Amino acid sequence: MSRPSRLSCFSCLTGVACLALFVVDATRAQAARLGSIRGRVELRRAAPPIERRPGVSELGAATAVAVSDRLRSVVYLETAPRGAFETSEGGHAVMDQHNETFVPHVLAIMTGTTVDFPNTDKFYHNVFSLSKVAKFDLGRYAAGRSRTVRFDRPGIVRVFCDIHSHMNAFILVFSHPFFGMTDTDGRYRIDNIPPGTYNVIAWNEGTSSDPKPVTVPDGGITELDFSLR
Amino acid sequence: MSFRTMAALLLGLVGAGRAAAQVPSEPLAFGGGRVTIGADVSASFGGADPGFFNYTDYDHSALRTLRIDVTGAVRAGRHLTLLGEMRTENVDGVVPYALYVRFRPWADRNIDINAGRVPPTFGAFARRTYASDNPLIGYPLAYQYLTSLRPDAMPASADELLSKQALGWRVRYSVGDQAFDRGVPLVSAFRWDTGVQAHAGAPNGVISGTVSVTTGTLSNPLFSDDNNGRQLAGRIQLRPVTGLIVGTSAAYGPFITNALARSVSIDDGGQYTQSAWGADAEYSRAHYLLRFESIVSGWRLPLVHQPAIDLPLRAVSTSLEGRYKITPAFYAAARLDHLGFSHVVGTQVTAPWDAPVTRLEVGGGYSILRNLQAKASVQRDVRDGGRLQRRAILGAAQLVFWF
Repeated sequence: MSRPSRLSCFSCLTGVACLALFVVDATRAQAARLGSIRGRVELRRAAPPIERRPGVSELGAATAVAVSDRLRSVVYLETAPRGAFETSEGGHAVMDQHNETFVPHVLAIMTGTTVDFPNTDKFYHNVFSLSKVAKFDLGRYAAGRSRTVRFDRPGIVRVFCDIHSHMNAFILVFSHPFFGMTDTDGRYRIDNIPPGTYNVIAWNEGTSSDPKPVTVPDGGITELDFSLR
Repeated sequence: MSFRTMAALLLGLVGAGRAAAQVPSEPLAFGGGRVTIGADVSASFGGADPGFFNYTDYDHSALRTLRIDVTGAVRAGRHLTLLGEMRTENVDGVVPYALYVRFRPWADRNIDINAGRVPPTFGAFARRTYASDNPLIGYPLAYQYLTSLRPDAMPASADELLSKQALGWRVRYSVGDQAFDRGVPLVSAFRWDTGVQAHAGAPNGVISGTVSVTTGTLSNPLFSDDNNGRQLAGRIQLRPVTGLIVGTSAAYGPFITNALARSVSIDDGGQYTQSAWGADAEYSRAHYLLRFESIVSGWRLPLVHQPAIDLPLRAVSTSLEGRYKITPAFYAAARLDHLGFSHVVGTQVTAPWDAPVTRLEVGGGYSILRNLQAKASVQRDVRDGGRLQRRAILGAAQLVFWF
């Protein structure tokens, strides 16, 4: 084993100093009780299901595919509180390929998360993305197999299948934990938010709301509704 | 289409690339998904091809084509769908490339009956001629290269046939229609046949079969019949393991027109046929894809004068294609193709009835967007016979957009 260099000693000291600052910051945050934002995202016009391309050159009709759940939205803080970015942990999430559909259709994760892409259909899929945030091509793999991608940069990743052009999905990668997915009724909740004033945005199928300012009180819950499309 | 027009269209498409980011990449859907419309647009520009290796008729080269396909499907309930495709090449008019009704008697069974201008039963490539499905710019020889045979005209003797080697792009004969016209490929990728087609598959997709009765033949698909005969075609396809598709096809039908038969005092031209057999395989895994296809075709023509033509006139094509994705946006591809012909005995020479051709095409594609792709390829063509240029190295570029 090589001896630690002067540079690595400096890095260690810097790390300790940062940790100390973080502890102080976290202690302050704990002194104030964390709050929540909850509400509903109303979709005035839900995005229609993704249809297959007309299979004119196919000898027989294609099998029916599952309908993607395009009703779920993501609500997130546009600007995160101080200290939020140090809490990133490498988690795991799953985006299945089933019935020629990505399940879930929308995934919201933090940077550092590894997403598994299992294939539970009886035929090949080929997951890929050309998004600037994450470019990848997992190749063709059969039923029961899975491939993984780690997302280290925040942004929106559009995911497709190279074989089935009607398959697509979104992965929203955040650098902080203050986001939430709506249920099928459009209801959401974001917890553990330090008190303060933030801008909040709702997103559905590529459409974003204008940022809405909201104040989260000390230990309280703030109601915030959105209307999209 | 002139060079300038083509270049302007190509530049226009490049400019449209940025705007394409705003265009939906999914098919247009109306009426709750009952009506769907998709499109494939490709603009290819290649160098001059004085050897006519890539011509699909006297005017059109597959390497210099602006092609627009608009496809549509109208679903009328669970059992009936109307499908169609309108196509224009180099803006020379719009052709109904496909128009048929698909009837599914049992909604939950994989059995379909198609009637109208139906997809090709035979082979594998004919159903994926779209630029977005073709990893290269050129076509396999069997589907594009024009042999010197015509359904409406024929040589009077083996000597006359041998004198037409390599002239399939513009050929004339002493019997039948004596105007210049193009010959036929083994299987036409540029027209679909008209008739009735039945397709059935096992629920697990391991095996499927298709049979059809149509008006034309593989090399000469027709909208309306010109010889009172029908072509029978069939295909069986197996998927024994994930990633492997193996198919075999056969077709048999009267080839020559009634007018040609009458010109040689034959009442029934039904015995002068094109028969063909094909085998194809596709294997893919991870980032590579391999395809193989071989077609054997035989034509029978009336014998008019000595030296008589040895029948059937056979042609054998073999094509091996591979594609490998190097990065998410970039792939490399290659295709090796050979088209050979049976020998006929002339007065002075015994030779293949048309000049054998070998083609190697190497290229790649870059995805600017998911549905906007730029391709480039170089092909080397070698022809063993004929009076035209026998060797060529041709470069081409293509832009493809689809939704």
